[in-house]
Amino acid sequence: MKKRIDWGYLASLSLSVVLALLVGAAIMAVTGHDPIAAYRELVKGATGCQRLSDVLHLFAKRQFGNTIEYAMVLFLTGLACAIGARVGIFNVGGEGQLYLGAIVSAYIGAKMAGSSAWIVIPLAALGAMAAGGFYAWIPGVLKVKLKVNEVITTIMMNTIAIYFCAYLSNGPWKTTQGNRVSGTDTLAANLQFTRLIKGSNLTTAIFASAVIAFLVWYVMAKTTKGYEMKLIGENPRFARYSGLKVDRTIITTMVISGAICGLVGMFEVYGLKGNYQDGISNEYYFDGLLVAMIMRYQPVGIIAMSFAFAFLKVGAAGMELNAGVPGELYRIIQAVIIFFLAAERGVKAILAGKMKGGARHG
Amino acid sequence: MGNIFTVGLFRQMLRSATPVALAALGGLMTEHAGIMNIGMDGMILLGAFTAVAVSIVTGSAFAGTLAAILVGILVGLFFALFVVKFKSDEFIIGTALNIFAGGLTTFLLWAIFGVRGTIRTQAGLPTVNLGIIGKIPFLGEILSGNSLFVYLTVGLVILMWALVYRTPLGFWIRASGEHPATLRTAGISPERMKWLSSTLCGAFCGLAGAQLALGNVTMFSEGMSNSRGYVAFACVIFGGANPVKAYLAALMFGFFDALGYRLQEYNISANLTSMIPYVITVCMMVYVVVRGSRKKAKV
Amino acid sequence: MENIVEFSHVSMEFPGIRANDDISLAIRRGEIFALVGENGAGKSTLMNILYGILTPTAGEVTIKGQQVTSFSPKNAMQQGVGMVHQHFMLVPSFTVAQNIVLGREPKKWGLFCDGTAARDAVRELTAEYGLQVNPDDTVRDISVGLQQRVEILKTLYRGADILILDEPTAVLTPQETDELFAMLRKVVAQKGMTVIIITHKLYEVMAISDRVGIMRQGKLIGVRETAQVSERILASMMVGREVLQDPVEKTGQPGEARITVNDLWVPDNRGLPAVKGLSLEVHAGEILGIAAIEGNGQSELLEAITGMRPYAGKIFVGGRDIVGLSPGQIRDLGLAHVPEDRLATGVDSQASITDNLLVGKHRNPQFTRLGFHMNRRAVDAYAKEVYDRFDIRSSGLETAAGSLSGGNMQKVVIAREFSFDADIYVIAQPTRGVDIGAIEFIHQRILEKRAAGAAVLLCSADLDEVLRLSDRVITIYEGQITGQFDRDHLDKEEIGYYMTGSREEAAHEKEN
Repeated sequence: MKKRIDWGYLASLSLSVVLALLVGAAIMAVTGHDPIAAYRELVKGATGCQRLSDVLHLFAKRQFGNTIEYAMVLFLTGLACAIGARVGIFNVGGEGQLYLGAIVSAYIGAKMAGSSAWIVIPLAALGAMAAGGFYAWIPGVLKVKLKVNEVITTIMMNTIAIYFCAYLSNGPWKTTQGNRVSGTDTLAANLQFTRLIKGSNLTTAIFASAVIAFLVWYVMAKTTKGYEMKLIGENPRFARYSGLKVDRTIITTMVISGAICGLVGMFEVYGLKGNYQDGISNEYYFDGLLVAMIMRYQPVGIIAMSFAFAFLKVGAAGMELNAGVPGELYRIIQAVIIFFLAAERGVKAILAGKMKGGARHG
Repeated sequence: MGNIFTVGLFRQMLRSATPVALAALGGLMTEHAGIMNIGMDGMILLGAFTAVAVSIVTGSAFAGTLAAILVGILVGLFFALFVVKFKSDEFIIGTALNIFAGGLTTFLLWAIFGVRGTIRTQAGLPTVNLGIIGKIPFLGEILSGNSLFVYLTVGLVILMWALVYRTPLGFWIRASGEHPATLRTAGISPERMKWLSSTLCGAFCGLAGAQLALGNVTMFSEGMSNSRGYVAFACVIFGGANPVKAYLAALMFGFFDALGYRLQEYNISANLTSMIPYVITVCMMVYVVVRGSRKKAKV
Repeated sequence: MENIVEFSHVSMEFPGIRANDDISLAIRRGEIFALVGENGAGKSTLMNILYGILTPTAGEVTIKGQQVTSFSPKNAMQQGVGMVHQHFMLVPSFTVAQNIVLGREPKKWGLFCDGTAARDAVRELTAEYGLQVNPDDTVRDISVGLQQRVEILKTLYRGADILILDEPTAVLTPQETDELFAMLRKVVAQKGMTVIIITHKLYEVMAISDRVGIMRQGKLIGVRETAQVSERILASMMVGREVLQDPVEKTGQPGEARITVNDLWVPDNRGLPAVKGLSLEVHAGEILGIAAIEGNGQSELLEAITGMRPYAGKIFVGGRDIVGLSPGQIRDLGLAHVPEDRLATGVDSQASITDNLLVGKHRNPQFTRLGFHMNRRAVDAYAKEVYDRFDIRSSGLETAAGSLSGGNMQKVVIAREFSFDADIYVIAQPTRGVDIGAIEFIHQRILEKRAAGAAVLLCSADLDEVLRLSDRVITIYEGQITGQFDRDHLDKEEIGYYMTGSREEAAHEKEN
């Protein structure tokens, strides 16, 4: 389990990223946009820096704050996905878990308006984690006890959760405050997280997120539990034979994965939006899932890559605003990176196979 | 308001079921070939977009449908390139494909038409009147006057059933998934069968997208596949990759989807009723497994 | 007699091994040719070349006077080569007829399979060769012997006149073996077919073949007329020396029962009963050997005892009823387990050797700090010590277990399991695919455990191994014990009879 940096993989990754950016440029060129200008807007959109000298004021830039905030969302969701993958279960349902965490925490905050933040915020966090965790527990149990494919169940449960939350926020939990037509009550000012950069999305939630990221990395890389998780994910039959508690570990991991997603939902409510509203997450979990896949579920890589992809995503929003190029280009580039990585590995394997002589399926 | 089970409910059932059934027909090909295809949602979305885009440009719904099938074939080939040739992880490629499709369609909608969200087309697939049959009360009213592919799908189900269970090609595709080494020793390349089934799956998903965008409605909206690709996958599993059974599963999905619409008329929140078909799909997945293990226990 | 197949200086290299090394061999038309050798001697590789599945890295193959230019099963089939693989090439959910015609389906209306024609073709074949099968049975549901018959019919349907059989008797009962041999003789005599049979059972070579080729470590050692050799000569050619392992002294003094099994019923993967009302005891200080042909419930028995498979009946391990216990909880009772399939169960092939050696001990205080932090330094030191003690050879301890050779991988499993503080050992196939030097090493470790007073339940496909190590032997046939032999009555031939379920026949013959 000794970790060495996989330079070969980093090289293919860099190449894939560059190629994907070129594909993005080609798409822009074909659709009549100037790729260079657009990418310049992207950099500006992600950092708020127009000239090199602006870098000195980076930490005061609104855009930079937004980038860091989205990186936080990405590494939390990415890690949530990665711990599942480590034990061999793919939590594709993080989106739904995030929604439930968001609405439960928003409801708690709304109901406890007037109480001290020291009481409400921990309670809301627990509520969010419980909601997300419970919602992940269901497919976890179905997978472990009945062998129901978790990919399909979690995807379906995303849709279910999003409709359910929409029902609550437009129905029983709908705000009575006059200025809103849907969503829950706006949280009292004392409950909302402090913004670290004025006007940006970056709030104190980043500290909690850093702690969570550290814990996830620590457990996965340094503890006996992390070692067991790895064996369970790689060969569950071997793990069971060796006396590990396979089923219980998989379910627990799934619950933790869901709890992290629920917490991300709470951060969106308490940090960004101030209440629960429809579309609180725009497929954030899938962005994180892609980061996790690209980094092959390695925690350190996920955390690092999250910043790069947050840069792309937030920058793409700026690009849309100022260069008129749709921000969805970001998703395309992300997916293309995966295709390039897979293709590179595939071609390498085929070439290696050819070198070994005509052996087919030896 | 009285009876829930109105003509409208069953007509809506057929409407909702048809795109899912078409995608499921494709999905069962890859399933038989031993490929776990969760990229169908993206394939449907790309098909829907192509159908609407081409129908706007040409003014012809059939041109749009044909283009959707062609794009589906290309995407199927692309999928096979990774999954069969490069032996990439099916789950990763499928997921990436879905996200790619979501990004690309939204991007192109904006880049080509300068629109965000939804675009409408004038061209729609025709409906078919069954003449005298349509005069039969209730049943005739349900069966007549539906979109063209509601009928063609039934034919395709039978055709696919024959292909899978009655032709050499069907045997080869099934063997390529169940026991590829056997097929290889019979002198037939399992990889080729996987390529073929993947391409067919793309074509069917493209068609499903066209039906969704030009048959059920006449528009494209972002993310309009709305997990139907996964529902189709669930139908394939539920139906044991048998075209007829998968079609019945799709009808079941359609029924509950329609029931959801119908219940809205009783002042039940649309958000709640929209959940129903997806809850049913999860239940279907669980049921298949439970039934499977029961069977085993009995033997 | 003319040569129907000729290999000329054929070599086949895989990464790390030379499976075939400069082999030149001619097969004559109309003979039954046996190819013998130990596991891994390269017999199957050579035949896979003939059948076109593998392309040799050097050399030429000539079939019926025509040199093979492009190796593929399709081309081989066109030349009349048919092969019955050790692992059957059958699609389980298809019917017998569908399997036989696969790839060459008779058609009707140009497009559809003609099921009637297929069934008729199968009936014709069965009548012609006297091989009874029901064309409409699903292959999944028929016996192994019948499945093999389907395989042979498949090659005949494709018009093969050169038939390769890869270890055809490994899964057969003696009656089925007799039937197979009778059938082979018949097709050779009546249809002029050529048969090449791969085996490592020497008495079968003597019984069926005209000529025999002996392979060892990828080389062809020699070709002999069967009539002019004996089993003993063949054996020494196969292993390169007289096969005489030192006999093991059997002086163990059995103590109390450590494993007790009472009226045990265990289902197989399909839910059918594989173990049917079996009872046994394994005592401290003894090795109980299980002799059985593959697929007679012995795997399921061991899996039930080790907690890997649900069962009905009673099992006591170390005096405790293990009903409802997990494999981990059973290990806590002092049981260690060497599984039969090391790749699927015995190792995590992606994990390093270190991680594979550690598992099970990883929560011991010596390897953790504060109860959860893994002490990598202590782990590495421990792994290095075990690695050296068990003489595992690799490019380092960080090597992924999956990249090890079979023998070294097995040593990793043995090293881990034998390092536990256990007094009950359940051991399956301890030396399958392991080279001779390592076999001796592993045998000594097992004997040490017995000497230290452990109870050992040993199961192996290698009957010689069972006989060599065991104090007592039981034979299992179709999930039931058919015979028990104590240390003074370990007669190979008789055990062979009981293994094949012919208890009454054996007893009967003795009377005569």
